[in-house]
Amino acid sequence: MNKNFEILQINLLRLLFTLSIIFLVLSLFGTSPIKVFDSIIYGSLGSYSKFIRTLIVWAPISMASIALIYTFSAGMWNIGIEGQIIMGAVGATLIARSFLGDTFISPYVQIIFAIGFGGVWGLICGLLKVKGNVHEIFSGLGLDFVASGIVIYLIIGPWKREGIASTSGTDIFNKSSWIPTIGQNEFPLLLIILILILYALSFVVLKYTSFGLRLKATGVNELATQRFYFSSSTFILLSFFIAGSIAGLAGFSQASGAYHKLVPSISGGFGFLSILIVLICSRNIYFTFLVSFFFSALIVGGSQLQIKLGLDHSLIGIIQATFVLSWLIFEKLKLEKSLLEIFFRSKK
Amino acid sequence: MKIEINNISKTFGDLKANSEISISINNGIHALLGENGAGKSTLVKIISGQIAPDQGEILINDKSLQLGSPKQSIENGIGLLNQDPQDFGNLSVLETFLVGIKDKNPYRNLNKTKQSISDLFEKYKIKINFLERTNNLSIGERQQIELIRLLYNGAKLIVLDEPTSAFSLEQKSMMFNTLRSLTNEGIIIIFVSHKLDEIMELCDSGTILKLGKVIHSINKPFNSKEIIGKMFENTVSLVKKDQDFSNSKFFNISISKNDLISIKNTYLENKFPYGSVIGIAGLQGSSNDLYIKNFFTNNLSETRINLDSNKNISKNTFYYMPADRVERGLFRDLTVLEHYGLYKASESKTLNWEKIKTIASKKISEFNIKANFSNKVSELSGGNQQRLMLSLMPEAQSILLLEQPTRGLDLNSAQNIWEMILSRKSKDIAIIFSSTDIDEIWDYSEIIISVSGRFILNVDYKKHLTKDKIINYVSGIV
Repeated sequence: MNKNFEILQINLLRLLFTLSIIFLVLSLFGTSPIKVFDSIIYGSLGSYSKFIRTLIVWAPISMASIALIYTFSAGMWNIGIEGQIIMGAVGATLIARSFLGDTFISPYVQIIFAIGFGGVWGLICGLLKVKGNVHEIFSGLGLDFVASGIVIYLIIGPWKREGIASTSGTDIFNKSSWIPTIGQNEFPLLLIILILILYALSFVVLKYTSFGLRLKATGVNELATQRFYFSSSTFILLSFFIAGSIAGLAGFSQASGAYHKLVPSISGGFGFLSILIVLICSRNIYFTFLVSFFFSALIVGGSQLQIKLGLDHSLIGIIQATFVLSWLIFEKLKLEKSLLEIFFRSKK
Repeated sequence: MKIEINNISKTFGDLKANSEISISINNGIHALLGENGAGKSTLVKIISGQIAPDQGEILINDKSLQLGSPKQSIENGIGLLNQDPQDFGNLSVLETFLVGIKDKNPYRNLNKTKQSISDLFEKYKIKINFLERTNNLSIGERQQIELIRLLYNGAKLIVLDEPTSAFSLEQKSMMFNTLRSLTNEGIIIIFVSHKLDEIMELCDSGTILKLGKVIHSINKPFNSKEIIGKMFENTVSLVKKDQDFSNSKFFNISISKNDLISIKNTYLENKFPYGSVIGIAGLQGSSNDLYIKNFFTNNLSETRINLDSNKNISKNTFYYMPADRVERGLFRDLTVLEHYGLYKASESKTLNWEKIKTIASKKISEFNIKANFSNKVSELSGGNQQRLMLSLMPEAQSILLLEQPTRGLDLNSAQNIWEMILSRKSKDIAIIFSSTDIDEIWDYSEIIISVSGRFILNVDYKKHLTKDKIINYVSGIV
């Protein structure tokens, strides 16, 4: 049997199992799973403008997930992803509020700054790991808090709105600093191009370059990396820099694409959500593409639950968490493979 | 105290680890000697109750000991001091005592407990702060504390399983003093070692094991020739033709003074022709593997390889193959094909998987590796992992650094691997390997470096040496 076909079958079966668990959980809450999903699908894909809103959420989640694939490859738990998104947004806001803010090049300069800010923030984590032997989970978590602190300081301090100091955010950016869109429904072309490039590039890098393969070999076995003539430390640093840069882009997308200003919760928790996505998809780019879209649809569609069904949208969190947990459990149990084997044997 | 070991046998599959072993010890320090695989560790494990023998009995003070139960062994006063300290690194010295204590609630009588421990420390002249974290102590100090802990818990018979492998000379003499004073109190000590010098210095009697059997009993005064003769008798060796060193290019091994005990036995002009096979001999626990690694990582000592041209050797010239294949040599979760990818990764930025597949299938058949491309390394057998590591040797002229290249392999695989290694002789600058098997060293090397403990005792061409000489050197006898 073709190996890829088998993997596809296994994953489809797993998806089926996982969805049934979610249906079961929703029924336990006394809601109709069909109605919930109908409302989510309508809310996220029901119209062109809703679809665009989903894209705007999908962009940062995709970017954060791709970022995490790099650190994940190197065996690193990049909990600092939230901070890296936030710092990317700070970098973008810096440009949007500068003299460049009302020029057409603003978004492009913002991209460079977001990459730089996020990258440096990620690099701090890597340096602490490599030079200071600080576990990346602790430094990452710490740097997340520091980044949140910086944002709040900026919003109520130097970047406060005229006359009022409130945590509701900075002034709205000048229109030329928004991510360029097309048409009346504001299709975010630049953003979509960015994501597609990132997906394609990462696919090639991870599969067809020496860098990608070495990254995969990093993190577990330091002496063995020396034997193959590369340095584990360098690759850990690089993975954090790359992840930080891409996460910074997600911050840019949030600041200049979604909110058009800097707000305290600029990351939207998308960094942590992406950790869950990458846990499910491991290093698979196709799955990351699909699962991150599914999660974005859940988020956008979930906001309709309150209006349509009178349900709290925290239900979405429950769906996401159930999805991830059941998926991981099924993955460990390897039920699908045995099922497929039984099925094909009985056919013979 | 008196221990009688009667007729103990133990087999693992086809391997007779112990067969009909009988030893009786009434007092003093008794040595247990033998080559690797002679059955020393198995016997130690049976005495300490970690494994049960197939037959036989052990009598403690004429009473039969229930075998195969560590608890019974401890209750009958048997204490085991392992090769590495088995303590809790993150506890303080005092806490390690409290953890293993028989008292149900040691905190109730903390002062009394403290007092009795400090009395013991004083008695055996150990000056270690109670509150020091165990991690901060040297291995030697930790072993001392472990020894005291065994005494504190009532051990009357102490088995030491090669306890001194990580000791400095000073620590060793301290430990030996303690051991001697223990025997004066009627405590029996069984000392497992293959360092002849230590045994000659310390022990009163001994038993030599070979292939699981008792072949000889010895008593003070010892005759070192006789012991060595018994330990290594019947180990036949193949005679190989000496290589013709007509090659004009030379490399040089500069040995740091800190690595030498004495320079009188060392072939000082350490200039060797290209294509030499150099064996670093040493017993288990000696630094022979570390010297191999040091040529690659330069982190043990100043001992280096230099080329005649005096250029620095680039890292890519070395091919280092560690002894633990999966822990340090290969990537357990990467596939066989990905390893060939990594091998090519140092040559170009992009990977052409089609080309890598061609190379991989060629290497897999050439080196007789029984595996598919998609097999993860952790799924391969030891021999296949070893052949995979060998197949990743660079094509260009290299210096091969091989740590115990045939460790844990059966005879056939080992021979097979040696053929592969020696086929590179005409191409490479040097093939340097370590082994604890004197026969392997003798059979394949042209130049032999003998290491005992941390130190290099001798460097010389094989033609100037005899096997007995090497055995003396690795046992620490100059």
